[in-house]
Amino acid sequence: MNGKGIKLPLPFCIYKNMKKGLFYIIISTLIFTSCKRDKDIKNQDNFDREAMLKNYAEELIIPAYEELNLSIQELLKSINSFESNITLQNLNNVKLEWQKTYSVWITANAFNIGPASEQGLNKSLNEEIATFPISESKIQSAVETGNLNFNDFNRDARGFLALEYILFNGPNTSEDSVLNLFTIQTNRTLFLKQCAQNIQTRVARVLSEWQTTYKNEFIARNGTDVGSSTSQLYNEFVKSFETIKNLKIELPLGKRPGQIQIEPKLVEAYYSGLSLDFLKIHIQNIERIYLGQNKNGQDGLGFKDYLETVTNGKELVVSTLKQWENVNNTLNKIPTNAPLSEIIRNNSEPVEDLRIELQKHTRFFKSDMSSLLGIAITYSSGDGD
Amino acid sequence: MIEKAHQFFNTKIPAAPLVSFRLIFGALMVFSAIRFMYLGWIEDHFTEPLFHFKYYGFSWVKSASRFTLYAIHMLMILSAIGIMFLQGIAYRIAAVVLFLTFTYTELIDLTYYLNHYYFVSLICFLLIFMPSYVSPFSNLKNTQIKRSSIFILKAQIAILYVYAGLAKINYDWLIEALPLKIWLPANDNIFLLGPLFAWKYSPYIFSWAGMLYDTFIVLFLVYTPTRVWAYLTVILFHSLTGILFQIGVFPLVMIGIASIFFSDAWHVKLVRFFVKEKAPVRKQNSLSSNYTLFNYLILGYLVFQVLFPWRYVLYPGNLFWTEEGYRFSWRVMLMEKAGTATFYVKDNKTGREGIVNNTEFLNPHQEKQMAMQPDMILQFAHFLGQYYESKGMHKPSVRAEVYVTLNARPSRLLIDPNVDLMKEKDSFKPKNWIIHYKD
Repeated sequence: MNGKGIKLPLPFCIYKNMKKGLFYIIISTLIFTSCKRDKDIKNQDNFDREAMLKNYAEELIIPAYEELNLSIQELLKSINSFESNITLQNLNNVKLEWQKTYSVWITANAFNIGPASEQGLNKSLNEEIATFPISESKIQSAVETGNLNFNDFNRDARGFLALEYILFNGPNTSEDSVLNLFTIQTNRTLFLKQCAQNIQTRVARVLSEWQTTYKNEFIARNGTDVGSSTSQLYNEFVKSFETIKNLKIELPLGKRPGQIQIEPKLVEAYYSGLSLDFLKIHIQNIERIYLGQNKNGQDGLGFKDYLETVTNGKELVVSTLKQWENVNNTLNKIPTNAPLSEIIRNNSEPVEDLRIELQKHTRFFKSDMSSLLGIAITYSSGDGD
Repeated sequence: MIEKAHQFFNTKIPAAPLVSFRLIFGALMVFSAIRFMYLGWIEDHFTEPLFHFKYYGFSWVKSASRFTLYAIHMLMILSAIGIMFLQGIAYRIAAVVLFLTFTYTELIDLTYYLNHYYFVSLICFLLIFMPSYVSPFSNLKNTQIKRSSIFILKAQIAILYVYAGLAKINYDWLIEALPLKIWLPANDNIFLLGPLFAWKYSPYIFSWAGMLYDTFIVLFLVYTPTRVWAYLTVILFHSLTGILFQIGVFPLVMIGIASIFFSDAWHVKLVRFFVKEKAPVRKQNSLSSNYTLFNYLILGYLVFQVLFPWRYVLYPGNLFWTEEGYRFSWRVMLMEKAGTATFYVKDNKTGREGIVNNTEFLNPHQEKQMAMQPDMILQFAHFLGQYYESKGMHKPSVRAEVYVTLNARPSRLLIDPNVDLMKEKDSFKPKNWIIHYKD
């Protein structure tokens, strides 16, 4: 300060001739009146994102976690019965409950946001409880040494697909020899139980956060910026969709650069041989998310409805649904008389056809959709004006 | 004529606008560098990615360790403070360091190219050559500088605005109101302004207003009677874009920098508001009467800046589609473009072709930028070829299937999916493997 008191360095101090400003005043008045007017003539096409988010939360996401939570409890019950009475029938019960529970999980695997997203040392829920391929050797050694830890970095030694390995051991292992393993290896049942409990703990935490605080938070973040629920949900939706092609199909087909042959063992759920069933559930669930449809087939507001309200969105929806039909057609042509790993081993062509159609579909979900909706996907600054 | 031009450039004018420009610009640089570190972008942008996209001709610029990068940012902050307050040779050193540190961080990865970062780099460069004998502590009423110093800064700002405006004169922007027709409704939830953005005529109004603003704002800033209102418009415009788009510090930068058009008296007040006069006037450089060579250099710089953005006319096809000659030309927020790029790497001995999972190598921002820009696609293809060769593949060929959507039009192939990109090289020549956009 130069001792003469505070003088604000505002441009107003200098320029007193504001006659030219009249023009600006008129312009601004015009702009402001049009602003006011527009509140009355609310754009008909204006899409209610909040209602869409509400539909996702109430009809798809929370029900999926609720069902999952119940299903895991059933699974745990069956494991307890098995633990107290190691019989073939009890083992088959556990297998059945596992299959049911994992099927439910697939309907929740695209919702790794909020409480299910990466937090601190925890990766996303999907990585924590559904990593595959699993590491046979890590699981074996855990069972042999009794050194059980389901909270470390060995995500390929826990989760649903570790349970599967413990329960089925392999497509060529007979039920009796698996049962035999449980009687020989005392820690095997312990692994089964603790692994399932670990999944239960993680899922219950996510569910309770959704039921208490996160639901409102999710609905309230109704923008399209990077932290918005629409953007996060969209990103996870695309990620889940891409997993089908990149991981569940290309990997066993040996389609990664550097792979020199098919590797049927790398299918999801190799040990139970249920890969194709799960694949179908996954693809169907992607469709439900796109449409905003709940498990009973009841249609609510979803990405498709949102797209239909934006510039050129209707055309994109038509192309998307058309290509999706091709995806489903090729999916239905994959023989069901043998496990997916066997089909890939014997004649991979039908699976290759599905891969091609999924590849064709990728752009519709990935770049076209985010571009038309104006969804931001990275935090970094864009090219500003 | 030439004599007159020299005279014009060499006329002595008060130093206040330069001093306050340095204060404002330096402060913005300090803020921006701190923000960059605070947001964790040193890690996200520079140290975590496995692969960096290079600027053409600058592939020798390498990223550095996390520690080094933090040190460089600290140095950047110190030198930014330096250009605000220092004098003489110390000022000159600070300006050089500021230019080098900032430009280095920009050159690490092409992914993060922004017109405004380029602009900041240019301003840092110009600051190196500004008169060094003034500082905020000088007696600003008596200190003078040659007019060329302020002129070139104003001219650079004018080029940015006018070219940004001219670039908006195209069919999509003015007639279709694209991409604003996409971007405005996406912001319909913003407090108070939301309904305005959702209104169906807003994209048209905003498109035309934006074009007129960019093209003519400098004229109104130069002309004294309209200056205050023009500056209020600057504030309004950049605040609005700041609310609407994810563009970081740039609204602030432009609002700060545009103050250079104010009068000398205003600048004296601004500087004195923050800094007390201290040092006696330094003896002015004896060379100050003869700046002939310097004036020619300024002229050369401006001619380059005026001509370089026009290089796109030398390339065939739609500029927005091919992006050949797109950068360094003040084309800001002009289009909504996105792509899906799938890379296929083939072992030329076994004939086996594999499909790349881009996310193994690129962060989401890198993948997004790469998937719509041919030169980045080429760079990534070369990286993949070399990577898989080192993993034991025999002379891999790499091709890419890239679907791009431009301003909400249905996506289509950007490049020939059958071309072996390993056989193509980047250069200023037109890329004949781009599939041109035809309606």
